[in-house]
Amino acid sequence: MSMNMLKKGDIILLGIIAAAIVISFAVVSTYKRSGKDTDKVAVIKMKDEIIKSIDLSTVSQPQQIEISGKYIQVILVERGRIRFLDADCPDKICVNTAWLSEKGDMAVCIPNSTMIKIEGQSDKVDAVTH
Amino acid sequence: MNKTKRIVILSLMVAQALVLSLIESWIPLPSPVPGVKLGLANIITVTVIIFYGFKDALSVVLVRCILSSIFGGGFTGFFFSMAGGILSTIVMYVLYSRGSKVFSIIGISIAGAVAHNIGQTIIASFVMKDVAIFMILPVLLISGVVMGFFVGLCSSFLERTLRNSKIFT
Repeated sequence: MSMNMLKKGDIILLGIIAAAIVISFAVVSTYKRSGKDTDKVAVIKMKDEIIKSIDLSTVSQPQQIEISGKYIQVILVERGRIRFLDADCPDKICVNTAWLSEKGDMAVCIPNSTMIKIEGQSDKVDAVTH
Repeated sequence: MNKTKRIVILSLMVAQALVLSLIESWIPLPSPVPGVKLGLANIITVTVIIFYGFKDALSVVLVRCILSSIFGGGFTGFFFSMAGGILSTIVMYVLYSRGSKVFSIIGISIAGAVAHNIGQTIIASFVMKDVAIFMILPVLLISGVVMGFFVGLCSSFLERTLRNSKIFT
């Protein structure tokens, strides 16, 4: 079986991509570690509009939030964590993402243009706005 | 090669790419990140670049995107696969035409897959109006390398089989 062997350019290309992977991982993990660990604000967005900002450390009762756009998505918030619980879209990528609890965690639904992301303490929002 | 034969073969290529992308959509890939996919239809794009060149490869990609969105991708899917498909076809053609001595089919296919994923991330950050989308880039780069490798492997097997079959003479 004569396989198409890797050539010199391939090695260089893989080197460049490997460097890009390392750098982008470093940037993401630096962002995740920056700021105080205790401040976690979950931001629920649809397009560029913030639907809700929730300080996850102040959630006492689990609560469900329903978003309806092109599809209907159900979000579950508990103390310290948040997730898309259910969605009626075909691919359910947002549901597969499961729980978000760390700063920088993010669940995205491209077809519905919605996302949940966890930010450090934000100066714009307090407990619950919008 | 006469014109009719070329049209017939290119149509077959579109049909194969379409079947591959349909099969791919049936394979559940429980991914926490949007945009991770097998990219099986890229096997056909690579093959058409090798045997017919840029213009035909681009037409095969465009027709495949249009048809697969009719069969169930929807408008958002169309927009995304179109952007990724065009970008990866350009990158792979440039590498193949300028550097086929330096790059193997596998390397070219990896570059195409990575370009595809970067393109989709850029589009996604525009659609969502949020640069935080770029945080999924590390995962998409890794998946691009893995998937691109297997697609490239398949393409080089297919290239050899097609050359031996003497269809293109």
